[in-house]
Amino acid sequence: MTPMKRVSLVAVVLSILMGLTAYASSSPWEQPAAALAEEIVGILGPGQAHLTIRNLSTIPTDNIPAIRRLLEQDLKAHGVLASGAESANAIRVTLSENIRERLWVAEVVEGNETRITMVHVDPGSTGQAQAGSEIALRKQSVLTSSKVVLAALETAHGLVTVEPEEIVIYGHAAEGWREQKRLGIGQKKPLARDPRGVVFPAPDDEGFVAFVANMACSGSYQPVQPAGNWTVRCTESDDPWTIVQPPPAQPNIASQTQPSIDSQMNISVAPIKAFYNAARNYFTGVVTPSLGVDLPPFYSASQVVRSAVSAPLLIIDIDGKVQLVESGALKPITGTRDWGSDFAVLHSSCGSGMQIIASGSGEAVSDSLRAYELPTLEAIPASALLSMDGTVTALWTAPDGKSVFAVVRKPAGPGSADQYEVDRVTASCN
Amino acid sequence: MLRQVAISCLVAALVIPAAARTRPHYGGTMRVEIEGDPWQRPGGLARRLVFDGLTTMSADGNPQPALALDWKSENDDHRWQFRLRSGVHFHDGALLTSVNVVASLASACNTNCPWTTVRVAGSSVVFTGDSPMPNLPALLAGDDFRIAIAATNRAGGLVGTGPYQTAGFANGVLTLTANDACWQGRPFVDAVEIRVHRAVRDQWLDLSVGRADLVEVPAEQLRLARDQHLTVLASPPVTLLALQLASSGVLGNPNLRAAIALAVDRSALSNVIFQKQGEITASLLPSALAGYSFLFPTGRDLNRARELRGGIAPPTLTLAVEGGSALQQLAAQRIALNLREAGFTIQVVNAASASHPDLCLRRFSLECSEPSAALESILHTAGQSVPLPEQSLAVTFKAEHEFLDRKLLIPLLYLPRTYASAGRLRDLRLVPDGAPDLAQVSLEDAP
Repeated sequence: MTPMKRVSLVAVVLSILMGLTAYASSSPWEQPAAALAEEIVGILGPGQAHLTIRNLSTIPTDNIPAIRRLLEQDLKAHGVLASGAESANAIRVTLSENIRERLWVAEVVEGNETRITMVHVDPGSTGQAQAGSEIALRKQSVLTSSKVVLAALETAHGLVTVEPEEIVIYGHAAEGWREQKRLGIGQKKPLARDPRGVVFPAPDDEGFVAFVANMACSGSYQPVQPAGNWTVRCTESDDPWTIVQPPPAQPNIASQTQPSIDSQMNISVAPIKAFYNAARNYFTGVVTPSLGVDLPPFYSASQVVRSAVSAPLLIIDIDGKVQLVESGALKPITGTRDWGSDFAVLHSSCGSGMQIIASGSGEAVSDSLRAYELPTLEAIPASALLSMDGTVTALWTAPDGKSVFAVVRKPAGPGSADQYEVDRVTASCN
Repeated sequence: MLRQVAISCLVAALVIPAAARTRPHYGGTMRVEIEGDPWQRPGGLARRLVFDGLTTMSADGNPQPALALDWKSENDDHRWQFRLRSGVHFHDGALLTSVNVVASLASACNTNCPWTTVRVAGSSVVFTGDSPMPNLPALLAGDDFRIAIAATNRAGGLVGTGPYQTAGFANGVLTLTANDACWQGRPFVDAVEIRVHRAVRDQWLDLSVGRADLVEVPAEQLRLARDQHLTVLASPPVTLLALQLASSGVLGNPNLRAAIALAVDRSALSNVIFQKQGEITASLLPSALAGYSFLFPTGRDLNRARELRGGIAPPTLTLAVEGGSALQQLAAQRIALNLREAGFTIQVVNAASASHPDLCLRRFSLECSEPSAALESILHTAGQSVPLPEQSLAVTFKAEHEFLDRKLLIPLLYLPRTYASAGRLRDLRLVPDGAPDLAQVSLEDAP
């Protein structure tokens, strides 16, 4: 072997040793190995024992030597030396796991007696990365509630949420939103299993208008001291629900680097209302004013701006078909195979300036959102999937059009109901 | 992370991919066929649809609020208070009150309750126990403790608060209709028809010609079902097949019980009778739940069994078969053969015809995903109990080990619960104990 080769070999061996040392020093197995060693010593006391390890878990086999080394070190530190098979004492360690956690079990054999001890292992966590794309969706939690939330609205005077049987007013507080008032809707009829609701700013932009099955509510705000006062009136109603609301004046849109398509083209968005089937979970297909074509029953609708003169309605019907209502005709949209039942339109400074944010599934355990562009009659994915860590139960456009809101149902721990999280979702350009 | 991944995999495995991924449709009639009784405990499909419990088990196996809104424990889990949900009505219109909840619970278990007393406290129900009851919220989700009252209307029978109500029984078909006033919201499907006592081969035939939407697949026929391209929904191993031994009479001798435990050939049962679809176990909890099952040896030791029997030639022992399915009869015959090899004489009888059998081949449902609660639930079903003062795995293992040492219950196999379904069912999931969650199902072709 030449001197150069020898140096290289030494360097390689040193690198491996350093790597192993570094691995061991930062190993996630240090803590459980120490804990198990302590338990074993508590049973066995100082002495010698034959140590065997078997792996029934998903720990990669190349981790086992490191775990063995750690156990031997920790046992030695407590006076237990690993010895050969001839030893009267044996320590049989099994690396096991169940659906909740990893479990390391030691069977300590002294003569005819076997005693058992076990420790839990924190499985740790791994980071996750999202694939890059033109648009990045981000979510920000606005509110978490243990009650079912159907819809929410941020106003200048607080946050309004619609629950199946109550309207809830939240006020600003240092830690976020704080519940101020709960007002009964007076719902007399039982709701369906998949209840829905909507809430919009009132025409004066101070109050709100909300709909749930069989009921319509209006809220008004009086700026009395010290914290203002909300008055809510609800009445039984089968009136159509507002599904497209004219956006309020938005002076700041013009100052964006890339103005959104409707601000550039100044298309007027007329209010559209739709009749909701209160015994079910969809709109009947009857809208006002009429769009010149019979619509099928649908789950969601939004107005999309496609040109200087066109702002057709996009609907997803109860069979999952996405269609554009344009020029008195229904035009099927392709590329929507992965869409769920909910979508909302978002105006950003990215791409065409308008994206459709669609949920991935109606009843998925872990739902996701994705942005789509609609340049033609085909929806083109424009962002990576944004995991919502729960089931998206509602999705709508914020009054300013620059974000969408989602309600996400998340399973909770023992002794408590599911949590409902209201998230604001925004888009940024990569 | 591991837990999340495992649970996600579990949940993903239990969900049939839906063709159209929209919100669920309302309407239609779902047709289910079963071999057994829809009201049986545990796991009766009608029982699940008609009656609610104070708690229910979430997809990840934790107790969640149902008829109880919340609960709290005091005095080191010796006292529990469950606050009832208000405005809930039974199918006959009667209001759910703490009085009728207490009456229902008291009659559910009589002297074999996991608590010492249960009483009314305003709109709450209070349980007290002589020993700690850390698993009470999980146990109350079990089928034994679903709330039922005698109907006050002309129809009679028991009524519940569940998503479906009994509409009638004719020609072997139990019809349940949607409860429009259900506190959880009206279910999506208008009616569920359960054809009972239907042979499995007839169930499959009905599924193939579109006369049934959901049928049973016995574990040993899982491979055949897949070969026939049925859409199969299989749970993890959740049904424990175990041999329960009497503690009196001839088997009052612990050595004889130990000899029986050593004489049983689990591998033959699994390979021959259950076509390798079961998980061989000598532990009361499956390995995926406890993680320590390997500590209980499953091997057969005929020599040691004969040694333990000693010179005793016990009289003929009766082995009863609970449920009486043909497969379970076969399994019992196989066990009888094993025991004869160890010097025992066994007569296989039907559970209904044997008042005090020496041995009983039983099935136990794994209703909880928390090991301590699951163990307590199984033992409760077996009419046994062990002290479980806390929910740690070490304590659970110790309690299980001490109990199994008495050889009153000999775990044999863990089996999955499996079903085959028609394509028109969507969002069909299995709950943690492997039963289908029919209340959440909707039909693709609903009007």
